Amino acid sequence: MEKHQKSLINIKEIPNKPEEIDQILHPLVKTWFFNRFKAYSLPQLFGVMEIHSRSNILVSAPTGATKTLTGFLSILNELIDSHEKGILEDRVYCVYISPLKALNEDIKVNLIEPLREMETLAGKANGDLGIRIGVRTGDTTQNEKQKMLKLPPHILITTPESLALMLSSPKFREHLKKVEWMIVDEIHALAENKRGVHLSLSMERLSYLSPHLTRIGLSATIAPLEEVGSFLVGANRECKIVNVQFIKEMDLKVLCPVKDLIGVEHALMHHSMYEMMDKLIQEHKTTLIFTNTRSATERVVDFLKEKFPAKYTENIGAHHGSLSVTHRRKIETQLREGKLKVCVSSTSLELGIDIGYVDLVLCLGSPKSVARALQRIGRSGHRLHETTKGRIIVLDRDDLVECAVLLKSAIERKIDKIHIPTNALDVLAQQIHGLCLEQKWNVNELYNLIKQSYCYKYLQKKDFIEVLEFLSGKFASLEDRHVYAKIWFDEVSQEAGKRGRMSRVIYMTNIGTIPDETFITVKVGEAVIGKLDEAFLERLKRGDVFVLGGEQYEFLYAKGMVALVKPALQRPPNIPSWFSEMLPLSFDLGLEIGRFRKLMEEKFKAEKPEKEIKDFINTYLYVDENSANAIYNYFKEQYDYIGEIPTDKKIIIEHYEDQYGKKMLFHSLYGRRVNDVLSRAIALAISRTEHKDVEIGINDNGFYISAEKSIHPKKALELLKSEKMELVMRAAIDKTEVLRRRFRHCAARALMILRSYKGHTKHVGRQQVNSMLLLTAVKRISDDFCILKEARREVLEDLMDIENAKKIIKGIEDKKIAVIEIHTKIPTPFAFNLALQGYVDVLKIEEKVEFLRRMHQLVLAKIGLGKK
Amino acid sequence: MQIFKNIEIIDLCLFLTKSKTLVIPDVHIGYEEALNKQGILIPRTQFKEIMINIEKIIKEVIFRFNSINQIIILGDLKHEFGRISETEWRQTLRFLDFLSKFCNNIILIKGNHDTILGPIAKKRNLEIVDNCLVDDILFVHGDKIPTEISKQTKTIIIGHEHPAISLKQGPRVEKYKCFLKGNWIMNKKIISKLEKYAFKEQRIYNLIVMPSFNPLIEGTDILKEELLNPLLKQADIGKLDVFIVGDNVYNFGKIKEIVKHMK
Repeated sequence: MEKHQKSLINIKEIPNKPEEIDQILHPLVKTWFFNRFKAYSLPQLFGVMEIHSRSNILVSAPTGATKTLTGFLSILNELIDSHEKGILEDRVYCVYISPLKALNEDIKVNLIEPLREMETLAGKANGDLGIRIGVRTGDTTQNEKQKMLKLPPHILITTPESLALMLSSPKFREHLKKVEWMIVDEIHALAENKRGVHLSLSMERLSYLSPHLTRIGLSATIAPLEEVGSFLVGANRECKIVNVQFIKEMDLKVLCPVKDLIGVEHALMHHSMYEMMDKLIQEHKTTLIFTNTRSATERVVDFLKEKFPAKYTENIGAHHGSLSVTHRRKIETQLREGKLKVCVSSTSLELGIDIGYVDLVLCLGSPKSVARALQRIGRSGHRLHETTKGRIIVLDRDDLVECAVLLKSAIERKIDKIHIPTNALDVLAQQIHGLCLEQKWNVNELYNLIKQSYCYKYLQKKDFIEVLEFLSGKFASLEDRHVYAKIWFDEVSQEAGKRGRMSRVIYMTNIGTIPDETFITVKVGEAVIGKLDEAFLERLKRGDVFVLGGEQYEFLYAKGMVALVKPALQRPPNIPSWFSEMLPLSFDLGLEIGRFRKLMEEKFKAEKPEKEIKDFINTYLYVDENSANAIYNYFKEQYDYIGEIPTDKKIIIEHYEDQYGKKMLFHSLYGRRVNDVLSRAIALAISRTEHKDVEIGINDNGFYISAEKSIHPKKALELLKSEKMELVMRAAIDKTEVLRRRFRHCAARALMILRSYKGHTKHVGRQQVNSMLLLTAVKRISDDFCILKEARREVLEDLMDIENAKKIIKGIEDKKIAVIEIHTKIPTPFAFNLALQGYVDVLKIEEKVEFLRRMHQLVLAKIGLGKK
Repeated sequence: MQIFKNIEIIDLCLFLTKSKTLVIPDVHIGYEEALNKQGILIPRTQFKEIMINIEKIIKEVIFRFNSINQIIILGDLKHEFGRISETEWRQTLRFLDFLSKFCNNIILIKGNHDTILGPIAKKRNLEIVDNCLVDDILFVHGDKIPTEISKQTKTIIIGHEHPAISLKQGPRVEKYKCFLKGNWIMNKKIISKLEKYAFKEQRIYNLIVMPSFNPLIEGTDILKEELLNPLLKQADIGKLDVFIVGDNVYNFGKIKEIVKHMK
């Protein structure tokens, strides 16, 4: 089957000839095109004919490479032709889907403009070509929707969520019965998360209504393209791939703000970094800065304003997901109008919203994956023939090595693979609910339709039936079932359909896959100073001091979703900072760094002269002399200390002891998604034998395990079997906070927790229910309840990376990856960041009651001592 | 475990050994239904658990003390404000009927959630009172400061707050339901606000705060959340004694000591 699948997906190697496109274009369209452009762009030469001949196609090209017009040119051409011939019908011909409402507005403008220009060219009045463009998103008013129902747009621009709603709308779906093209824009941003999974099913629903649908995918840099192509077309359909990812010239560099990254005081480093940023900003017209977190975005804006009050005033702006839509729109407009000298963003400007002219992109810290780096840097030089210019500023030596290797990969076009979630049962539940609103189904027919989606092609019948049972409320007693059941499911006749009057309303008002943020607002008095992770609050008690946005605060008390604090200037923080979900380093990039380390170790072991090694770094990594020096010194210190360098094929376990206790530091540079799995699996093995809770800390370069008793981590690691990992990890995550949190998200997607119900829409705060309570309630039904199963899958496969972790374990089993142990008094240079890092989690092996008993003993003993 | 002279903690309830009085705190029947109404469609399992738990407690009491003379329900027997749902009606009656198998003398104390408990109580000929005095112990729900405190009162027992405490060691944190014991000072400032009060001088009462009886309501973490109870707000929290209810009852001593030793 897999083989057959591959032959369906084909890379298009040779573009069409311009004359071929000339021939298919309507004279008006052709005239307009050559009035505007000198010639067809490469993506157009590859794509336009394919779309014209109704082939499914995925076009991957950087921003500004005329992807959108490639997608639309054939379609506009045919619509104009049909209009001319008087055969243009009042129905939707093309559905365009993008992940962003803002992008939708851009697209509308970008379609209406050419139409107006063509009308002018043809000497006609506005609208005379008779082609209607409509936008339908969550912001569309009831009135506009009514108008669209009466007179549907020929090109319908929408979001994945609104598409799902329209598919279930009894009246509007009539307009979706003969759709000819579907364009999915920014498919790279959708495929890797549950919005994409959701969309994959909506695409099948649309294909079910419109069997002759041609699918067009537009993507920024991403890999593997074959897989994204399969995602676009689903199982058993053909797709052509056009890869023009590297048509823009790239000018990329890694910069160190200071000569020597070690032994520099924080203040000096900070100062130098801002000096460097200022210099770069001043040398360019417009600079876009990317940080990895929202709070860092705000900090950078504040510091630039503070340090250079004369230079940065109204001409600097922040753009990130926590800011209001109005604010973001304002910043986007200012960028387009060239009013901003500099704009600082987290991830929100990675996507293709038109931001006008940017000639420099600065990344503060590692973008963590090659694809992300290219997307970010690709925001500069928006036009096709301009060079993209990107600079990554690094602040420590791990960052330097990481970014240098990242840059090498980018220049050599080695893009890390994305992970597309599959078999997500929560999204499946939501979509089956929607499908049942449309009609009564034979469940086998329904099953087959779902299996058409790339994300569900291997869906087990058992899981599918469990979701049907969940939706029909089988878990509740008969008398209560009306509260839970959204569909009916007759096991005898094998049929299913919608149930109850509320079913449609619930679906229409609650769909979507983006989890509601459950942050705690932190206040000093009435002033809001920031947001904290919900799980972080669990760790605080009155009087604890923690750091938020660079300031120290003492925790006073919590009230619902608000934490009251006061500034604590004098006292050192006693609770380590903790971020549950940081950008993880991609596995492939981790391996690349590991390979570089291996090459370096070989050079040191062969006792090559310093100059030769530095030259090697210089050419291998494309870095300047300063950076090569810093990298050389970093590796030399590590090598001189223990005579070993950890590589992709060698994990070093470092036994290290400080005033807080023993730690086992694992040098395993595979990214935190893999390290999350490895560390927990090992911790479980240890905690089982010792029957004690084990503390773990994780970062991209490794992890540590800490327990009171002396333990044998190497033995524990070697005991793990790759084929047993699922079982081990199921136990290892069972009591974790992250499982509870993800379960709540899954329950919301499966419409078990509703945002809007019986006319009430709740704020996230009010909807806040103890996630433990939810999980316990569901576990009472079954430990394998389908939504709980999904939460486990999401944690292990999407948040963590069990697949690649298994590869590492297998490598150890097969002796392809060596494991060695060393003992140190001061951590080795490569372990330094890890040794300083706070815990991430604790593997709870003790039952809650056992913990209580032990704490009781502890408190009694201490009180007893105190009395003496 | 004895929390006070002649007062035993039996799981989440109290038993007064002298008067043979069983005290049941905030049961909140219908809590899941209320969550369901907010769109949190979790399955309803709590009533079964409540019944299993109360049966276990009553059996233990009878085993140890032979009989029960009276049962005090310390307010918030049911959860919903406003109207009584069908489930709540049915389950509340079943709960009361179950209790009356062991003891006919049931006293319902009014809680802030019990605004319309009346019809149910009437159906079983039960009276609803604002407070009740047994020997020198005053029982009130605890949502407001009692306006009447008779002369013989020495101890006040309340619910409402649903106290719980989170124990912490390293990164591990777990929350447990607990009883609190301490002093409550009726000071002149409060006295001046009350219409009726037998004394003019400041008096100190023993105070016991009971946890929630409902398996789904874990409670307010006394180490971090804002306390609701007007009586507790005025108490010196650090001086309260904590009795955690787990598989057994564990006396953890004073809050300030616990905090000091929890790292």
